[in-house]
Amino acid sequence: MKIGTPKEVIEGEARVAMTPDSALQLQKLGHDCVIEAGAGKAAGFSDKDYKSAGVEVVKTAAALWKAADVVAKVRPPVDAEMKRLRDGQTLISFFNPGGNETQMNAAAKKGATVVAMEMVPRISRAQKMDALSSMANIAGYRAVIEAGNNFGRFFTGQITAAGKVPPAKVLVVGAGVAGLAAIGTSTSLGAITYAFDVRPEVAEQVESMGAEFVYLDFEEEQTDGAATGGYASVSSPEFREAQLAKFRELAPEVDIVITTALIPNREAPELWTEDMVKAMKPGSVIVDLAAEKGGNCKLTVMDEKIVTDNGVTIIGYTDFPSRMAAQSSSLYATNIRHLMTDLTPDKDGVINHDMEDDVIRGATVTHAKEVTFPPPPPKVQAIAAAPKKEVAPEPTPEERKAAEVAAFKKQTMTQVGLLGVGGLLLLLVGLVAPASFMQHFIVFVLSVFVGFQVIWGVSHSLHTPLMAVTNAISSIIILGALIQIGSSSFLITLLAALAVFMAAINIFGGFLVTRRMLAMFQKS
Amino acid sequence: MEFGFTTAAYVVAAVLFIFSLGGLSGQESAKRAVWYGIVGMGIAVLATLIGPGSGLLLLSLILIAAGAAVGYQLATKVQMTQMPELVAIMHSLVGLAAVFVGFNADIMINTMSTLFAENGQVLGAVKEGTRHTAIGLPKEIYNDLSAFGQLIAKKSSVEIGILRIELVLGIWIGAVTFTGSVIAYGKLAGRVDSAAKKLPGGHMLNAGAAALSLILTIMYLSGSGSWTLVLLTLLALFIGYHLIMGIGGADMPVVVSMLNSYSGWAAAAIGFSLGNDLLIVVGALVGSSGAILSYIMCKAMNRSFVSVILGGFGGAQGEQMAVEGEQIAIDADGVAAALNEAQSIVIIPGYGMAVAQAQQAVSELTNKLRAKGKNVRFAIHPVAGRLPGHMNVLLAEARVPYDIVLEMDEINDDFPDTDVAIVIGSNDIVNPAAQDDPNSPIAGMPVLECWKAKQVFVSKRGQGTGYSGIENPLFYKENTRMFYGDAKDSVSSLLPKID
Repeated sequence: MKIGTPKEVIEGEARVAMTPDSALQLQKLGHDCVIEAGAGKAAGFSDKDYKSAGVEVVKTAAALWKAADVVAKVRPPVDAEMKRLRDGQTLISFFNPGGNETQMNAAAKKGATVVAMEMVPRISRAQKMDALSSMANIAGYRAVIEAGNNFGRFFTGQITAAGKVPPAKVLVVGAGVAGLAAIGTSTSLGAITYAFDVRPEVAEQVESMGAEFVYLDFEEEQTDGAATGGYASVSSPEFREAQLAKFRELAPEVDIVITTALIPNREAPELWTEDMVKAMKPGSVIVDLAAEKGGNCKLTVMDEKIVTDNGVTIIGYTDFPSRMAAQSSSLYATNIRHLMTDLTPDKDGVINHDMEDDVIRGATVTHAKEVTFPPPPPKVQAIAAAPKKEVAPEPTPEERKAAEVAAFKKQTMTQVGLLGVGGLLLLLVGLVAPASFMQHFIVFVLSVFVGFQVIWGVSHSLHTPLMAVTNAISSIIILGALIQIGSSSFLITLLAALAVFMAAINIFGGFLVTRRMLAMFQKS
Repeated sequence: MEFGFTTAAYVVAAVLFIFSLGGLSGQESAKRAVWYGIVGMGIAVLATLIGPGSGLLLLSLILIAAGAAVGYQLATKVQMTQMPELVAIMHSLVGLAAVFVGFNADIMINTMSTLFAENGQVLGAVKEGTRHTAIGLPKEIYNDLSAFGQLIAKKSSVEIGILRIELVLGIWIGAVTFTGSVIAYGKLAGRVDSAAKKLPGGHMLNAGAAALSLILTIMYLSGSGSWTLVLLTLLALFIGYHLIMGIGGADMPVVVSMLNSYSGWAAAAIGFSLGNDLLIVVGALVGSSGAILSYIMCKAMNRSFVSVILGGFGGAQGEQMAVEGEQIAIDADGVAAALNEAQSIVIIPGYGMAVAQAQQAVSELTNKLRAKGKNVRFAIHPVAGRLPGHMNVLLAEARVPYDIVLEMDEINDDFPDTDVAIVIGSNDIVNPAAQDDPNSPIAGMPVLECWKAKQVFVSKRGQGTGYSGIENPLFYKENTRMFYGDAKDSVSSLLPKID
């Protein structure tokens, strides 16, 4: 199959869906690659680079659409491009299927297959083709950089000969991929970073990135993030109130606010109200990553940077990834390449559009002249739902007391039983055995008891030294040999001598080794 | 300088030995405790040497000195990782010594009865009407006897019967300990295949040998002569060999402590036959200590003691859960990056760390991470390694402070708050199948729940299964990354990357 990438038509879009690197990988799958002249220029890839990677370069967009069986691009197609789409062709790009019904129907009618990159399901297997995440990562990073660009102070606090600089305070609202990336960038620049999210389970992730999670004084059964594929859902009005109150409290303190709150297929929720903007210090910066969906702040103007009357800069750019075109192109092209790998299971250059596959099915919005959006829920849950813990009922004091009494009784019973049996056995032995034996026997039994009592107290980590010590003192058998060695019989003397020798090895070896080991144990 | 003095010395020695074992309850007091043991042993040996009945003082001293030289060599040359082998081989010496002393007692009894017969008397005859034995030997002859000979001469025939039972027990247990320890040594040192092996016939062979031993004992007691004792010893040697051959490498901690216990019981039995209370006391102490250790080990593995002794894992009932997913490898850079980011790290060492001699590298890594203010701790499973407490000793050797080395129960609850768990050369003790899969051969064994940590790195030689041959689902978990390679090289390669 021939995979082609046209130059992005929308103005200001610098990304490109194929890089020389990804083209090489695609060719390994058995595909041919074709690209429109100048498509990679804005992202820093020249036509020469593509040629040397074995990509065919065609002059015009029309020629490219004609030549390619699969068209991979970044932005949703414009009408002119839709016209070029033909029967049997596959289009891979962002498509916004939720709000793009006309184009979707048109594509289906034509018999083209459309794979929408934003519809790749959020399951582990599909992470490598999750372009939303890879772009959000860049957006989060870039948001902090843009904010820094428009912020007149350092991020990190410094005490210099020329005066003291307080550290900047950054608030990140929404700890999704973009939010986490922003948190990471901001903390590594040295700012004091706070983060908020409606999903309390991400608090841990936030803290792991070095930011402080902003908790609300609010108790509500939160929807388990797992139920919505890891995305945030709409929260209750009471929750919203508590949240806004917290933000109002924070507004005069923070220098930079980065909002990333998006709810799938909905208008962005308003989180940073006008009065909060008014309460902020002059020179503060707001970066609204939700600008495309109306913005988390109502003052945000899409694709523009404005300065309010009280000197707060509000950045509403929607092209953060495009502003880092080289980086985002290579990530996006890799996402596309991974998707193609899944579409070409046999690596023979033949596309097998398997509608049974969770990932492919989920991302495909038109196929075989039919609209296949929205997809059925994936068979694999994105995140394992937190298992509901069964809490064992706390025993009442009476029950506990009863249990204790029962345990005590049982213990007494076993102890008395054992003592009884043991005593009886001893008596039986005593009946037959002579007194001289019994004397030794008593010593033996008592020693066993002492042994049991003492050994239970030995600490776990000292078990090896214990073995070495007991080994050393078990060579007390040397006494027996020493008593016998003076015998008149040569054989006895020989055996006893051997026994003395071996036991002596053991005594010295055992104690020395133990001392060596114990000397090593040290407190920090 | 009569018996009174010796007995007094023995009492002191016995008390010192008890203190010595009791002192092992803490790391600091343990250092003192060893001295108690040494002094106790010194007093006991000295008292016996200058006490009644010992002859050939010079020879004894020379032999002790020679033994000391060998023991010193052994103890100072041995690597800490070879500790299990050393302990095992030293047990075999005690076992063999017990066999020799037991045989001596038998020879002595025979000599005595010949001596009595020569003088027209019967050994062990009881004077009419009293319960006192008539020694009956002419005074000169009696005084010429060694202390042990005199002891036997004074015994009644019932007492001599009991004496024989005791020495049979001593010899039998000693012989089992001897071959068992030699095989255990071979397995630990890798000279004998560590897999559980049995001759055809398996348990029946052991049972047959044991039954035959019993018959021989009865024959010996009824006076069939010393050849029965020799045959009995051979049987016991065989049982020791076969018993330990049938136990797999993973159960070695139990085996070693069990053999430790045996050597104690052998000493106690010999103590009975020699009428020496100190031998009985110490034998009982060692015997019960070994028994308790074995019990603790078995409990830690959720295995019945009997099934361990009889060898091999009990057969699994039903199909084991199939393991899904794939093992994902990671390189040193990835691990180092995760470690640099982590705040709380738990290291789980196992036998693989000992084999690769990686404890120094692990210690260095720990120091570096701790210097960066990270919370680094060690989680030790009770049966990690091949000897009870094996890991503690290795880490102590590498100068890891013991207060960051924690037991399973102390640390298991902390895993959910742990950023990175590093598994170094352990397998079964971190196997989640013990909890999840009722059909797993190790079902119910308490394990370290490292998979609850945010990330788990497993340092491992290759993709094979562990000692028990059980598949480990941990390696397939989503938060697990496999860090293949020799543990020492792997950990060392991390060191320069931690900054």
